[in-house]
Amino acid sequence: MSTETTTVDAGTLADRKSEEPTFTEKFWKIFRGHPGALAGLVGIFIFLLLAIFAPLLAPQNPYDQMRLDILDGLLPPGSRLGDGTLSLLGTDALGRDILSAVLFGLRISMVVALVAVIIGSAIGIFMGLLAAMKGGWVETVVMRLVDLKMSFPGILLALMVLAVFGTGIDKVIIALIIGAWAAEARLVRGVAMSELKKEYIDSARLAGLSDTKIMWRYLFPNSISPVLVVLPMSISGAIGAEATLSFLGVGVPITEPSLGLLIANGNDYILSGKWWISIFPGLVLVTLVLCINVVADRLRDHSNPYLRGKD
Amino acid sequence: MTDNTLIKVENLTIEYPMADGEVFRAIDNFSMYVNRGQIVGVVGESGAGKSTIGKATLGLLDENAIIDTGSVFLEETMVSHLEEHHYAQVRGNRVGYIYQNPMTALNPVLTIGEQIVEAIEANTDLRGSDARNYAIDLLTQAEVPLPEERLDKYPHQLSGGLCQRIVFAIAISAKPDLIIADEPTTALDVTVQKAVLDTLVRLTRQENIAIILITHDMGVVAEMCDHVYVLRHGKLVESGPTEEVLQRPTQSYSRELMAAIPRIDHKIERFAVPGGLGQAGDRERAIAYLMDRKSDAGVEGQPLLQVRNLSKTFQTKATALKSASSFKAVSDVSFDVFPGETLGIVGESGSGKSTIGRMILGLHQPDEGHEIIYRGRNIADLTSRQDKLEHRKSLQCIFQDPYSSLNPRMTAGENITYPLTAHGLLDRSAARQLAGDLMELVGLPRASARKMPHAFSGGERQRIGIARALSFRPDFIFCDEPTSALDVTVQAQLLNLMKDLQDQLGLTLLFVSHDLAVVRQMCDRVMVMKAGEVVEAGPCDKVLVTPDAPYTQGLLDAMPKFSFAAAQ
Repeated sequence: MSTETTTVDAGTLADRKSEEPTFTEKFWKIFRGHPGALAGLVGIFIFLLLAIFAPLLAPQNPYDQMRLDILDGLLPPGSRLGDGTLSLLGTDALGRDILSAVLFGLRISMVVALVAVIIGSAIGIFMGLLAAMKGGWVETVVMRLVDLKMSFPGILLALMVLAVFGTGIDKVIIALIIGAWAAEARLVRGVAMSELKKEYIDSARLAGLSDTKIMWRYLFPNSISPVLVVLPMSISGAIGAEATLSFLGVGVPITEPSLGLLIANGNDYILSGKWWISIFPGLVLVTLVLCINVVADRLRDHSNPYLRGKD
Repeated sequence: MTDNTLIKVENLTIEYPMADGEVFRAIDNFSMYVNRGQIVGVVGESGAGKSTIGKATLGLLDENAIIDTGSVFLEETMVSHLEEHHYAQVRGNRVGYIYQNPMTALNPVLTIGEQIVEAIEANTDLRGSDARNYAIDLLTQAEVPLPEERLDKYPHQLSGGLCQRIVFAIAISAKPDLIIADEPTTALDVTVQKAVLDTLVRLTRQENIAIILITHDMGVVAEMCDHVYVLRHGKLVESGPTEEVLQRPTQSYSRELMAAIPRIDHKIERFAVPGGLGQAGDRERAIAYLMDRKSDAGVEGQPLLQVRNLSKTFQTKATALKSASSFKAVSDVSFDVFPGETLGIVGESGSGKSTIGRMILGLHQPDEGHEIIYRGRNIADLTSRQDKLEHRKSLQCIFQDPYSSLNPRMTAGENITYPLTAHGLLDRSAARQLAGDLMELVGLPRASARKMPHAFSGGERQRIGIARALSFRPDFIFCDEPTSALDVTVQAQLLNLMKDLQDQLGLTLLFVSHDLAVVRQMCDRVMVMKAGEVVEAGPCDKVLVTPDAPYTQGLLDAMPKFSFAAAQ
């Protein structure tokens, strides 16, 4: 059957709008008319600012043991500490201001998730491209590794990794990377395999270009858009995973409390009426993940041409 | 108009709002009349708004379409402005619709029988075995062989031509007054097209059903239609009895459209359409660059390319559900190509014609026992990197699908010259200059080399593809159906360009096409292929005029004729 592609030769080149839309134009196209997604975006932006400027914003430095006073322990929200600072969200058993701890915890949670997802996705993209491009035993090895990874529950795998390497921020990042790369690799391989069938790849082969050059200049830029779309979803997933690990006590060390660890701290007190220790970090965690997810949802819908006309 | 008028389209204007707030006018003040039993052609290039007219009749316009003025009447009913639930009375029942691609028009998870019976039960009083018998009757009328067996088949088990016949059977099941056929044979091979159209005409004449035939193919119009409307950018260009419009087009656009149609009966120098080699001053520099080939194009009288005993078998691996099978795409093909000539390979889809070219280029590995000798050297003997690269550069390709043959993430200029810079043959400023020169040579503005592929139309992309093939200063270009995705006037411009380039540069072309008329216009010699084998080979003037093989004769007979069309 002959091809059904049709052409639209409307007007000459000069008449047509041919410039790529600017970033702002693209941005508005995605978010205009979607107040939820826009609010999510604003939320993410606010959380980012809070995390970046945590040392300036926090009333207390939760790492500074000298400033902590055990007599300030377990004060309810709105109390004044011994030195007169207002503790808006209360304190924990060590006399640590919850608001300050949450701001610093946000920092750690976001950094860990971002670093892990960026490195994990880079590895996944590379492995996926390699599998599609080389085929044969390379593909078999990569894809069986993916299957192996996928056959473990994510949290179990992370626990195993941490059991082997010990705890610490760097170890948590490694555990999350190991959790993140496989889905990306599978996704990229699928897209890359359909791109490989297209004629522009044949043209590159006819030009005698090496596999490496074809992979980076032809295949890579045409295969990564789906990964970019799922990236926010991976980040929120990683934030959740890190919180889970820290909650279980195998994540970040007690000296660098992330949101998960703060929730775990308050766990012992939640039934004795000291609800604020767990609830506030928990609320922040849920809101952050929610914000990222609504934005991710919007990006995914926008990237799906079948849904695009209907929004 | 007489009482016989079935469809009355009056001053119809349909607009689509666009993202940037402007309005796209798909149909502009268009009027059309169709009588009972009449076959009316709506012809125009892609984007002319042909399908929009058909959709307006059935209320199938996209949700955001606005009928600005005018209306469509089916006898007394204003079908362009019905409430959604009233369309059930019209669709299927009074107006049948035939889509371009029969494979997607049928539901892949239902059997043929279930689909026909469903249509029959929706539009008639027949139920159960009566409906089934009527279905068999319909299939017989649509000339589907073994109708009873076919009822239990699924669409994927049947060929495209058979599926289209089944779509016909469904369309006539309710004995409608009108059938709208939207490019009904564009997806089919030429021999199948002929038979399918004959069936459609017979069915409708017999039942006195009118047809609105939407097509880009003037040949089909000439064969089938009583009356024709020529459309361009949503506006009516010309209308009248088919013979009159095709023979004596009064408007320059219709004349251009007629002139662009490749003719099978005689060969012309050029198509009488505007465009061709770029006219700008830097074209000379591009030609000078291209003429500066290290190797000469080959010795006169000696073949540039010799192919011996070329075969290709595609193997499928055994899986748990299916045993291994093999399919012979090309079997034992031998031919020579001489310097400066154009050899055509023609055949229906699946005849193996593209596979031959891809094997010569090294994109497919041929079966053992073949020889491909290029410029006196067996290409299997090329071992050093340098030799291989020189060979690669000398053989290039113009691809079929302009929408997938350019890297969407590189500018047009980078698409043309990136391989050269990657091999270290050009520095970046020289590459920029060459890209601009080549763009002008193929008739595109120099500055547009900085644009991304999506900014270009299909024809323009194909020009970029030609520029890319030329950038290596090749001697031999394999043209893999380079114009099959393009409109007829764009095709004519592109074929002119390729002829001019060949004349200027002394290129040798291997030209694959399913369209005999295009081959007639482009090629010196032709090979006719069927199911992987060469049926007949020889000069075009012989093979395409007085063929020896019955198969070639059949292909020629199936071509739409312009017996009464004006000579150019």
